[in-house]
Amino acid sequence: MTGGGLIGASLPRREDARVLRGETRYIDDVVLPQMAHAAFVRSPHAHATITSIAVPDDAEGLLAVVTAADLGETVRAFPLMEPDGVQVDHAHAHPVLADGEVRYAGQPVAAVIARTRALAEDAVELIEVTYAERPAVLAPRDSGVVLTRWSRNAGDVAAAFAAAAHVVSGSYALPRLIAAPMEARGCVAAYEPADDTLTVWCSAQDIHRPLAQLSHILDRPPPRIRLIVPDVGGAFGSKGVVAPEVAAVAAIARRLGIAVKWTEDRLENLVGASQGRGIEGDLELALDAGGRMLGLRARLWADLGGYLLTTTPIPPHTAGTLITGVYDIPAAQVTVIGALTHKVPTGPYRGAGRPDAAYMIEALVDEAARRTGIDPVALRRRNLIRRFPHRTPTGLEYDSGDYERCLDLALELAGTADSDGERGDGADVVRGRGIALYVERAGGGWESADIELRPGGTFAISSSSSPHGQGHDITFAQIAADRLGVTVQDIELRFGDSATSPPGVGTFGSRSVAMAGSAIAVAADDLLAQARARTGTTTIDWPALAGEWTAGGEEAAGGDETAGGGEAAGGGEAAGAAATSEPPTLRASARFGSANVFSSGAYVATVRIDRGTGELTVERLIAVDDAGTLINPLLVHGQVIGGAVQALGECLTEEAVYDDGGQPRTGSFLDYSLLTAAEVPLIVTGEVQTPSPLNPLGAKGAGEGGAVGTLPAVANAVTDALGGRHVTPPFTAEKLWRALHDEPADGGP
Amino acid sequence: MTVRIEINGRVYEGEVEPRTLLSDFIRHRAGLTGTHVGCEHGVCGACTVQLDGEPMRSCLMLAVQADGLSVRTVEDLAGPGGELSPLQQAFTDHHALQCGFCTAGFLMTADALLRRRRAEPIGEAEIREELAGNLCRCTGYEGIVAAVRAAAAH
Repeated sequence: MTGGGLIGASLPRREDARVLRGETRYIDDVVLPQMAHAAFVRSPHAHATITSIAVPDDAEGLLAVVTAADLGETVRAFPLMEPDGVQVDHAHAHPVLADGEVRYAGQPVAAVIARTRALAEDAVELIEVTYAERPAVLAPRDSGVVLTRWSRNAGDVAAAFAAAAHVVSGSYALPRLIAAPMEARGCVAAYEPADDTLTVWCSAQDIHRPLAQLSHILDRPPPRIRLIVPDVGGAFGSKGVVAPEVAAVAAIARRLGIAVKWTEDRLENLVGASQGRGIEGDLELALDAGGRMLGLRARLWADLGGYLLTTTPIPPHTAGTLITGVYDIPAAQVTVIGALTHKVPTGPYRGAGRPDAAYMIEALVDEAARRTGIDPVALRRRNLIRRFPHRTPTGLEYDSGDYERCLDLALELAGTADSDGERGDGADVVRGRGIALYVERAGGGWESADIELRPGGTFAISSSSSPHGQGHDITFAQIAADRLGVTVQDIELRFGDSATSPPGVGTFGSRSVAMAGSAIAVAADDLLAQARARTGTTTIDWPALAGEWTAGGEEAAGGDETAGGGEAAGGGEAAGAAATSEPPTLRASARFGSANVFSSGAYVATVRIDRGTGELTVERLIAVDDAGTLINPLLVHGQVIGGAVQALGECLTEEAVYDDGGQPRTGSFLDYSLLTAAEVPLIVTGEVQTPSPLNPLGAKGAGEGGAVGTLPAVANAVTDALGGRHVTPPFTAEKLWRALHDEPADGGP
Repeated sequence: MTVRIEINGRVYEGEVEPRTLLSDFIRHRAGLTGTHVGCEHGVCGACTVQLDGEPMRSCLMLAVQADGLSVRTVEDLAGPGGELSPLQQAFTDHHALQCGFCTAGFLMTADALLRRRRAEPIGEAEIREELAGNLCRCTGYEGIVAAVRAAAAH
């Protein structure tokens, strides 16, 4: 297929064959000569003062033991992001290695460098660290130490509540989750004294953010650090900030002048990688007698952990700004408090604040429906935002959307437009149905792209965004080929090396197509305009044009085409151009920036709960998403299903559990249970495509919708099955059995 | 200790520490990095290889236990010219992989299933049960199940 038919084409990915043959290179597959290996001494306590560290004089294969005292002033604590209006306590930035105090079990205290990983782990056992234990705070409301704070008060909230016929309140909580990509984190760092360059291969979501973080931590300008991202085995938000261990390994490689590898194991990942969610909130909604929403009050507490990593401040702020959801609520007062707890820091995990907001507002709207006696679908319809752009009282501007169309389609797919339809309680089971709408912040910021016409008439594109499973390669090739009127086979994408990448931000927040894809579209348009100006024709014969430039002095990279091109140019009309000071080939670069775009959707879940055991079965999930214009529906469908199943795990089993002393209890995949193929229900998907007016593709984002819409739909279905009684996820058999039998919930987290 | 392990028809012989895992032997000694290590405690199945034709978690086995045995890894699935097997082709056709880290384990599990059940149809529920020993965090399994169904019908 060529230009015109490529937007919306479900083309398979081009990297698949390489992956299926086992020809990949993930971080543990990066091997350098004489490479040493790192392992870490970690805190066994949630909170303690380090009173001494004793290091053995020697051990087999041991090269170095490095502590915070050894690193001294050569490293700084993590740089911190400050989302708009958020107060951030920079004194609590995460240190590279623990300096006198530990604030979570698993915190890296010392790095052990040895000839092999096994010998490094052996030597870890020989390091003697003594601690004076201190009390651990585990609940954000008990903390008293505020690390981030954001508040917003817009519209006349007091008047809204004074005028209300109904005030409905609810308190909601989401546990901590673990991103658990199948490939844990890791890096290889190597220092080359000859050119004073530190090269870091890192299992990361992108190159630009780890580069900026390491540049700050090591106080080393970006050109003196080269960041390479090889194949990445999943991330889901957890690889958008470098691990403290990676910063330590990079600092040590620089210090010792050697290559060092750290490959995180699963226990380290489950207890030491930044976790997700961990948020709770008290909400109040004011409605008039007809069910029109007048105002919202929300106070959220986020469980941030013992320190702030670079991205830790972001998800709670995102939750706060999205708390009014898809509803036209004129007044809102929202406060978000990020509190210190003695656990590993939190950070973005798929959805990163979006599911949190959707879960709370959608549970509250269902509660309002129960309290007012208004049908939950009717109540939603009465309050949907219908005019765009829409400015929310929390300060966001929704660019476009058609929430009612999403709702209608979801209900149609669910088989009935009546929200009271399929209740089928029986002697052994209770059933429930839940509806949820969501809107999510996507895109925003900027990305860039370089495009170049190659000998033979093909194109090389360097994108500032890099993939970790999403399918950037074919998606971006479709965008470029569509603009240039060529085939995807003519387009080669390059990613993942800071030495050759154009500047950019990164891969996160459902933004790659809207931002990096748009940068490619703009660059391709520029290239086409240049070609048309040079040839004076609308339809470009790219191989002929490339041949002319090749003859003008381009390097002989194209083999036969180069030789043939030389002859063609000798008598061609571009010979004059080649003889002037024109560049030897055609290139274009573009930087594309825009405000946020807003994806949305409507989800319907039907569930049953076994009265005897409390076991929850999600019978069916309807997922309707509006991600704007879709470039490759096959890959978008994969994102929706993948996100939905992660969220089903959040509903059914997933929770990072800590005991009363702050010890993590979910240190294996037996304790932190991911859903298997046998546990996934039928998921029916539907699409609405409301193009965004903010970019040339009309694209929004599809990476997170499944994870955002599923949680509130299932949660509302469970509450419905329980006759209005609210239970905190995950909906384990014990919790649901207690709720069914009117027993108090367990005192646990 | 000395081990002699045949992997994909080639014999690898050498000294290993007794604690060396089969997964590490395959990856670091034989250099066959298509087999991935996801949890090293036998749950995720990413490291699944075939041992004398049966799917086996190579992280739960020591290299010395595989002495004298025959191992097959993901690198052996494609044809001599790199052409994808019907199962591999079905994986790409059905978008059964995203990050790709778990893929080799699913392929080795499914390949063994298809060999075992060559003559009989396999239903979706059974495929899901058979694949329940392998974890995928990206796809939600839909594409993987569809791919195995398609390959089973091939």
